Amino acid sequence: MGTQEKTERSSDKLNNQRILLLLTVLFTITTLVVGALVFRFYLEDYRKSSDATEYDKYYVMITDNYKTDFWQAVYKGAFEAAKKQNIYVDLLGQNISGQYSCEQLMKIAIASRVDGIIVFANENEEMTSLINEANEKKIPVVTLYNDSTHSERLSFVGVGSYNIGREYGRQIFNIIKDKRTDDFGNSQAAIRHTTTDVAVLVNTDTKDSGQNIIISALQETLEQENATDSEFSISLVPVDNKNAFSVEESIRDIFMDNNIPDVIVCLNELNTVCAYQAVVDFNKVGEVNILGYYNSDEIVTAISKNIVYATISIDTEQMGRYCIEALSDYYHFGNTSQYFTADVTLINNDNVDDFIKKEEESYE
Amino acid sequence: MSRFLNLPLQKKIVSIYMLANILIFIVNIFLIFGINSMSVEMEMVYQDNRQLNELSESLNDVQDSMTGYLSSKTTDSLENYYRSAQTFQTLSEELGGKVTDLSFSRMRRNIKNMSENYLDEVSQTVEAKRGRNVEKYRAYYERATELYEYINAYIESLNNEQFISNSENYTELTGAFRTFERMSVLVLSLVMIGNIISITLIVGMMIRPLKNLADSADEVAAGNFDTTLPKTPYHDEIGIVTAAFSQMVISIKEYIERLRESMENERKMQEKELTMEAHLKDAQLKYLQAQINPHFLFNTLNAGAQLAMMEGADKTYEYVQTVADFFRYNVKNHGTEVTVKEEVTLVDNYIQILNVRFSGDIHYHKQIDERLLGIMMPNMILQPIVENAVNHGIREMGDKGVITLRVYREDNYACISISDNGKGIDQESIDQILSGNWQRKENQNDNNGIGMDNIISRLRIYTDDEKVITMKSEGEDKGCEITIRLPFENV
Repeated sequence: MGTQEKTERSSDKLNNQRILLLLTVLFTITTLVVGALVFRFYLEDYRKSSDATEYDKYYVMITDNYKTDFWQAVYKGAFEAAKKQNIYVDLLGQNISGQYSCEQLMKIAIASRVDGIIVFANENEEMTSLINEANEKKIPVVTLYNDSTHSERLSFVGVGSYNIGREYGRQIFNIIKDKRTDDFGNSQAAIRHTTTDVAVLVNTDTKDSGQNIIISALQETLEQENATDSEFSISLVPVDNKNAFSVEESIRDIFMDNNIPDVIVCLNELNTVCAYQAVVDFNKVGEVNILGYYNSDEIVTAISKNIVYATISIDTEQMGRYCIEALSDYYHFGNTSQYFTADVTLINNDNVDDFIKKEEESYE
Repeated sequence: MSRFLNLPLQKKIVSIYMLANILIFIVNIFLIFGINSMSVEMEMVYQDNRQLNELSESLNDVQDSMTGYLSSKTTDSLENYYRSAQTFQTLSEELGGKVTDLSFSRMRRNIKNMSENYLDEVSQTVEAKRGRNVEKYRAYYERATELYEYINAYIESLNNEQFISNSENYTELTGAFRTFERMSVLVLSLVMIGNIISITLIVGMMIRPLKNLADSADEVAAGNFDTTLPKTPYHDEIGIVTAAFSQMVISIKEYIERLRESMENERKMQEKELTMEAHLKDAQLKYLQAQINPHFLFNTLNAGAQLAMMEGADKTYEYVQTVADFFRYNVKNHGTEVTVKEEVTLVDNYIQILNVRFSGDIHYHKQIDERLLGIMMPNMILQPIVENAVNHGIREMGDKGVITLRVYREDNYACISISDNGKGIDQESIDQILSGNWQRKENQNDNNGIGMDNIISRLRIYTDDEKVITMKSEGEDKGCEITIRLPFENV
């Protein structure tokens, strides 16, 4: 009996051992296989990171300073639009060390035989000839924001400078109206008519047609709004933007002068920021009204703080998209519209909160 | 599995060893493979930078040789120019012209296209120089140089950016390498553990039958042939040994059985032989007895008695008559059972004969319960006892010797007592006689040849009682009494 039990027990034990052995062997093999697979996937994962989509066409965007929010926003619009058509847009200059002018970048772009150039152009002869050279080499060129009217550019994508001028004019008129009521309230001052000094900051290096249009539209608006000549005076303050950092110095110079203007109209983002900072630094908040340009976060914040009176918001996304549309039209139909105008909106203290809210929503 | 376990022991051990080694080997191969691929990857990390440096160098060569040719117009510089331009072209073509998300690829594309343009310009410059068109080659030269600078700047930027990205890659790779290391150590450890467990189990499974065999062998060694023989699970050496052992145990068992049988047979044969011998002896005795022919002796004695009566010798007649009766008892007794009376009569006759022989020296007393005389008992019992008493007890006492025969009842026993007043006997001798160990002395010629041991054993067999006969002696010269107790049941 005892021995029989023993045999039974030992055979049970043997079976258990067999199962255990099977499990162990399975476990070992599984470990091996899993280890190998994990390693493989790991490596593959690592390699996959170097994979990338290939694009059909390659456009470049050339700007004077790729770092500004404005150009970055336009580039972003263009990039998104291009990506849908399997086209890659590069903001040229971003990847190359050193500072290059638009003309130099144009040369690089032409030599690189890109499929399309979007350039922040000017009326220089050099630019014109470069655009023509590109055209000769079958590279379509779209001028952006600033036109090169004498060149054989395909299309111009800009903002309605006239509209901007009108908006500025209206804002200045509002300021004048505020002044009038102040004058009425102040009996002593009623005798002496105060003149509102409007300083328009203009760049020195470009024969910028846009600037001129803005200024003339501004004047026109003020006249239409029945502002008398004695109530305002417009002066053009040249801002040296040829050298690095000179813009900031030029703007500070205005404040060093005794005649500080009542209204400063800035026609680009950098000028706006510099003017805004100068007003704060010279403690002229409330005395000097800044009409800004572009809706960078900094400027919008300044409006909500009442440091900047108003600013122009440009639909940069639309602007970028128009550039790509123009180039694609060229490839599809051989030609396209000569002018594209991006929408502008004015942001002042009344609608700045809405704007901020909308921006936040669009970010989300 | 079972097929594996059925393999010879050596093959099993070797295959387990090999399996374990192969597993470790596989892990190692994976390891080496992984390390190899990773090191290749690492080598390739800065490959792009090297390529770009090469490109940059060859670009410089082109520019230098062109400048050299423009300034000196030597054949050497022209040759140099052709060679370097060729190299540069080959190298720049390697850059690839794909436009992808990666800025590198676009930069490479641009560099490639610019290089082509540059080479065009350079070749045109060289052409113009050959044609000595000073105006033209100056213009071309300037354009080429400008491009050269752009390309250089571009390459430099690309190089820089790639270096940064490659450094990141390198860091990532190093991290991956670490992870790989940890993972391989883990896998290696797990596989090792698995191996150890497997080997332990397999060896255990292989050794188990051996252990069973050892247990069984122990039991068999202890003399237990009925132990359960271990099974032979596998047909390896252990299985063979186990089977052989089982066979051996069975064989031994059978052998022992056979041996016992043969011994039994032998014993029976011996017994038979002994009986045969006894029968033979018996026959021989009968034969001898037959030769003596007691009838003849008895008839002769009767004749003698008649003669004595006719001659008027009464005493002689009586003596011869008694002797004749004594012998007749022997002749008459063909059975083994007689009455007590017959035995007593024999004793009477015997004493009478002795008294004639030794001239009435022996005093003989009888106290007999007549009712018990009909009881049966084995023959030839009392006379030898009396003979003993005479020979060893009272022989040398002359006429003072007394023999007393008593037959009486005690409880359920009929007792026959024979006592003398002779020499007596010590207790040691009594014990020896009763246990049958008495050593008969040499030359002791006993009367009728019937010894005490014969009497004792016959009485014991007859009554199936060890205490049927008792001997008693008070000590030296105080005589001896022998009592026979016959149970009534036997009567």
